[in-house]
Amino acid sequence: MEFKLEAHRIVSISLGKIYNSRVQRGGIKLHKNLLVSLVLRSARQVYLSDPCPSLYLAGHPGAPALPQQPGESVAGPPAGWGEPPPPAACAAWPEPEPQLELPAVPEVPRAGDAEPAATVTGAGDTLQGGEAEAAEAAWRRVEGPRETAVGGSDVFPQGFGAARRPCGCPPGDEDKMSASPRVDGCCAPRPAGPEPPVPPLVCPRKRGAEGVGGGPADFPAPGSTPLKKPRRNSEEQPGGAAAAAAQEEEEMETGNVANLISIFGSSFSGLLRKSPGGGREEAEGEESGPEAAEPGQICCDKPVLRDINPWSTAIVAF
Amino acid sequence: MPSHRMPSEADIISTVEFNHTGELLATGDKGGRVVIFQREPESKNAPHSQGEYDVYSTFQSHEPEFDYLKSLEIEEKINKIKWLPQQNAAHSLLSTNDKTIKLWKITERDKRPEGYNLKDEEGKLKDLSTVTSLQVPVLKPMDLMVEVSPRRVFANGHTYHINSISVNSDCETYMSADDLRINLWHLAITDRSFNIVDIKPANMEDLTEVITASEFHPHHCNLFVYSSSKGSLRLCDMRAAALCDKHSKLFEEPEDPSNRSFFSEIISSVSDVKFSHSGRYMLTRDYLTVKVWDLNMEARPIETYQVHDYLRSKLCSLYENDCIFDKFECAWNGSDSVIMTGAYNNFFRMFDRNTKRDVTLEASRESSKPRAVLKPRRVCVGGKRRRDDISVDSLDFTKKILHTAWHPAENIIAIAATNNLYIFQDKVNSDMH
Repeated sequence: MEFKLEAHRIVSISLGKIYNSRVQRGGIKLHKNLLVSLVLRSARQVYLSDPCPSLYLAGHPGAPALPQQPGESVAGPPAGWGEPPPPAACAAWPEPEPQLELPAVPEVPRAGDAEPAATVTGAGDTLQGGEAEAAEAAWRRVEGPRETAVGGSDVFPQGFGAARRPCGCPPGDEDKMSASPRVDGCCAPRPAGPEPPVPPLVCPRKRGAEGVGGGPADFPAPGSTPLKKPRRNSEEQPGGAAAAAAQEEEEMETGNVANLISIFGSSFSGLLRKSPGGGREEAEGEESGPEAAEPGQICCDKPVLRDINPWSTAIVAF
Repeated sequence: MPSHRMPSEADIISTVEFNHTGELLATGDKGGRVVIFQREPESKNAPHSQGEYDVYSTFQSHEPEFDYLKSLEIEEKINKIKWLPQQNAAHSLLSTNDKTIKLWKITERDKRPEGYNLKDEEGKLKDLSTVTSLQVPVLKPMDLMVEVSPRRVFANGHTYHINSISVNSDCETYMSADDLRINLWHLAITDRSFNIVDIKPANMEDLTEVITASEFHPHHCNLFVYSSSKGSLRLCDMRAAALCDKHSKLFEEPEDPSNRSFFSEIISSVSDVKFSHSGRYMLTRDYLTVKVWDLNMEARPIETYQVHDYLRSKLCSLYENDCIFDKFECAWNGSDSVIMTGAYNNFFRMFDRNTKRDVTLEASRESSKPRAVLKPRRVCVGGKRRRDDISVDSLDFTKKILHTAWHPAENIIAIAATNNLYIFQDKVNSDMH
């Protein structure tokens, strides 16, 4: 359990670092972000390898494993990250406590969600339409690249897939490389807030993938897509001109770092909603968790939630 | 020579480098400035100041830039300085920030012509009616003036952040390395460079390692090494192929499974690589150790020295406060018998390869009165604590010594401690053994 707490903490710290790197002077440091993503991957593996039966409830029992799109190189989480939560869910993000409980709302059969559901309704009123659109747009953009980290793409998605198993199916005992990322939607709240303005272009291939990444989930209205396309085009044209004119022909491709935050934003809160069971400890990490919180307090523990708040709040603010 | 200005972030020293004779010492800082120190010749008249370094020249090498197309600010911080071998009266050095390398020429002027016919002493044109005779201008001595001028600007060669530069022993070319590529430049040609290493994957999602440092072999102009974030070294031969993606040798040590943790990958990332003066060995620094590699043995280093193994149990905290990403440099002494590297709390460590003894010293104003002998320090890790020991928990992680340099011939070391430069000389053992 301590390992899980530690892993949890490390994941949140890592995400904070990735976020901060985007506003750092001098641009995104590829080396540091790569290292952070490796840590993130390790921590997630530990965190998600816990086969607690009641942890993940099926939101989409019928969601099949998506076949790989042609041209896709990553077994990323398919579009089926669950039903996109209603825009109201995104509104929750700016708020500290209720925010973190909100993303779990779409997963109806969750235990203990009655309260958050009420909170959602209340918070939903505060959301502006534009924000919802932007949030959906961000969600869509997240779906495109399918990878979750520089260098970590072949693991994160499986991690996700492993996590999204219906209760009772321990994810840890199968070949992760070939695991079809069955996202049952239990932890698929949407990232909130406007699309983070990542300067580097996502490469065209990713955009294409995003277009076909419909999947079983019903995606936000196509109307949200145009919100992003013009943005991309505007980014692309100067880039294209630059490529023609300048010797430097490529962008520093760190767009997937931004996507990582969005993806993690959505899943992380879902992770927080897990009702803790007597999980098996993975002896991966050697650090002992600092928190002495009982497992049962993870989800409700305010200090823990507060740990997560800064970065998710920051994403919204961004 | 501690800085007397109010400490600001721009004053943080980011690189230190002796020239090939050790007469000059260059430092670069976060504000894009280069300060060059010159060793005063020893004189009998002032025995106390023999061989001390004084400021020789200061100039602004790089300015902050903004890449409007990418909405990216380019830091002016000087990442590396490398001296060119001196070929005439002038000195030349390369300085680089994240994106642009510049070649600077440093010249001295200690005479000036006087007695012009058409101009007066201030340079104003004379009234020709007052000129009654012609004179030949003569050179008169003047106060020494050091002039620095940018001779070449090597720009637009790198998409990613430049982490190292290295001048070839042929004195005509040099290489610059960023996270994913290494370029070869000719010192006289700025509008193009050859890409000799490219580890960028076709799909950036597949990226697993980056280049962290690189250096030319000191004697073989066709050989160079580059280190990676995975802890491996690749020795490449430029004669083998134009693109040196295939290494000639791969130096890698298998990971110790008992030390596995969340942070194993981070701490195995090599932050610096240096060839020995002999060219036979390589020195690498990762977060917790320095290692000596024999070019003839790829399987593992021949020597491993623990710099601060007591941090192994604190990696999570060090990850949190970003210290785990600190990139420490390492250095050989002139005879390759002692290696040196920095640590925290303004400590730096030296390891004698022959006697296997090591020492921890501190660079601080309190302990560094002129001609004082540095007292060895000790970090206690529990158990018996001696009087002057520092406990691990009281180490100051904001005081880190990332950049150190060793005089090429003598026992003189330059230590950069944040915004202060310390120069220590071993007067007793001034000759290398």
